[in-house]
Amino acid sequence: MKSYLISLDKIPNFVDELARHGSVYYPRTEDGKAHFVVHREDAGVEPDFTGIRTAENMKHFFFHSRDVVARFPNDKSSAPPKQYLVGVKNCDMRGIDVYDRVCLKWEPIDPLYRARRENTVIISADCPEPQDCCFCNLVGLTPYAEAVSDVNITRLERCYLFEALSQKGETIIEQTKDLFTEAGKEHLKERDNIRKNAMKIVQKYNARALADDLPARVGRADKKTKHASRQDCVECFACLHACPTCYCFLLSDYQKSRETERVRTWDACYYAAYARVGGGANPRSEIDDRFWNRFLCKFDYFKQYEDIYACSGCGRCWRGCSGKIDIREILWNL
Amino acid sequence: MESVNPYATIPVKIKKIIPETSNITTFILDGMPIGFKAGQFAELTVPGVGEAPFTPSSSPHAKDMEFTIMKVGRVTTALFALKEGDQVGVRGPCGKPYPLESFRNKEVFIVGGGVGFAPLRSLFLALVHEIDNYKKIYLRFGARTPADIVYKYLLPQWRKMAKVDMLLTVDVGDETWNGRTGVVTVILDEIPVNVKVAPAVVCGPPLMMKFVTQRLVEAGFQHDNIFLSMEQNMSCGIGKCNHCRLGKIYVCKDGPVLTWEEVKDLEEPFV
Repeated sequence: MKSYLISLDKIPNFVDELARHGSVYYPRTEDGKAHFVVHREDAGVEPDFTGIRTAENMKHFFFHSRDVVARFPNDKSSAPPKQYLVGVKNCDMRGIDVYDRVCLKWEPIDPLYRARRENTVIISADCPEPQDCCFCNLVGLTPYAEAVSDVNITRLERCYLFEALSQKGETIIEQTKDLFTEAGKEHLKERDNIRKNAMKIVQKYNARALADDLPARVGRADKKTKHASRQDCVECFACLHACPTCYCFLLSDYQKSRETERVRTWDACYYAAYARVGGGANPRSEIDDRFWNRFLCKFDYFKQYEDIYACSGCGRCWRGCSGKIDIREILWNL
Repeated sequence: MESVNPYATIPVKIKKIIPETSNITTFILDGMPIGFKAGQFAELTVPGVGEAPFTPSSSPHAKDMEFTIMKVGRVTTALFALKEGDQVGVRGPCGKPYPLESFRNKEVFIVGGGVGFAPLRSLFLALVHEIDNYKKIYLRFGARTPADIVYKYLLPQWRKMAKVDMLLTVDVGDETWNGRTGVVTVILDEIPVNVKVAPAVVCGPPLMMKFVTQRLVEAGFQHDNIFLSMEQNMSCGIGKCNHCRLGKIYVCKDGPVLTWEEVKDLEEPFV
């Protein structure tokens, strides 16, 4: 893995260079909240890699809330545009990791996801100061990426450290090599100190680890636990749509002129009709069971399938929750 | 999945429509748009309306694909409004087939209820196609009334087949009925097969499946030898959308045929 340095004032040049090949998206902070924005050369907006994850999750870039996945009677598709996501935090890399497993590893491959994934370069960035909503350390992650993304950025005191994590990443740095110099051991040491500090912060917020047998505890939760956990839920489903790892969807057909479009939309297992069958029977007719299904899915079933939790520790579900339900509290109390 | 895009459907025309009962109809398609093995299902599209999962009722070796369908929801209501010559779409095959290789040289005990007889007909025809490979086929079928029995025009011919033993019952008889009366478990009092090795295959409404499974377990069938067609709300059919998940099992991908061994520990497998 090669490491490179780029001075702070050259970041706009780097982004401009990427923008010659496709759309570039990066975080911009406004009123204390980071949002992904599309880069425009004349906009004068500078990326900000120092905050925590953006308000939006990354599935917006790969798995849109509404996608046409097939057409009838003649199915046709076009190649998605090239895109660069710069400044993605490691919690969101877990989201992409989950989607990669579901859409690329599990047969059959999802062709639209694959096309978008292949046409996307992901440049992750260290999360130097996790906030109270963050709990990546509880789900087996660190506040910095060492895999899944193509390049990782660490903000050092006087410059940025770029580390290629894939062949795609090597190619990007090669294409813009005039902007970079090689990093030395002292820079890696500085990076390690920044990371240690970030880990300390997130550990301070989440000193208590999740139980080793968490999947079994989630699996055997009784009715009382399920009911108590969802007491403050107002069924707005914000947690599920804000979640970077939730991948449930619904297929619907729409007549458009002479053809039918098969449309995939985000779905959520909290909806009453989610598991209802044609005849009207519903295996999860009670909200308590639907609420708990989210926990089973993320902390029991997916762990059994892939040996990782389908949770990123990003804290969007807590931040976005009208009832301020903290998923950590529920898991700790099991 | 045969198609490159697993969400794309293959257009095919309806060749023939055979009303079976007041709310069950067999749709014979013009040809075999996709290959399948007995037990696998397909997503059937009504253009502009949507798709729903159905297991074919025809033999995997037939020239034309058939589906026997009950009118229950939005897609089936639209399907029942179609005429011969109209176009539909087929996507699949989805799921896993019956493990016929493990049925070889054994008696096969098949129990169906109502429209649940449709996928069992496909299995039955697949077994008959290579009947020498099996010891004997036992068909046990129940319907609510004589008017609710599907494939009435085929039953006399099946009854005459060598190595086939068939019993029917209806919950409530009428003046035309001189057969057995009572729910399907009444024809399961006697199970004339070697339950230690014979596979039992069940498909029908959830309540029927529940009681039949109980009876088969009591009779001594091995738990991993009781094959159940699990009905769940399937959407994508390829194990991605999560709608059909039963515990950690993706019914569309790991099923739709699951053994009692696989589902017996679930809180409520029959919904």
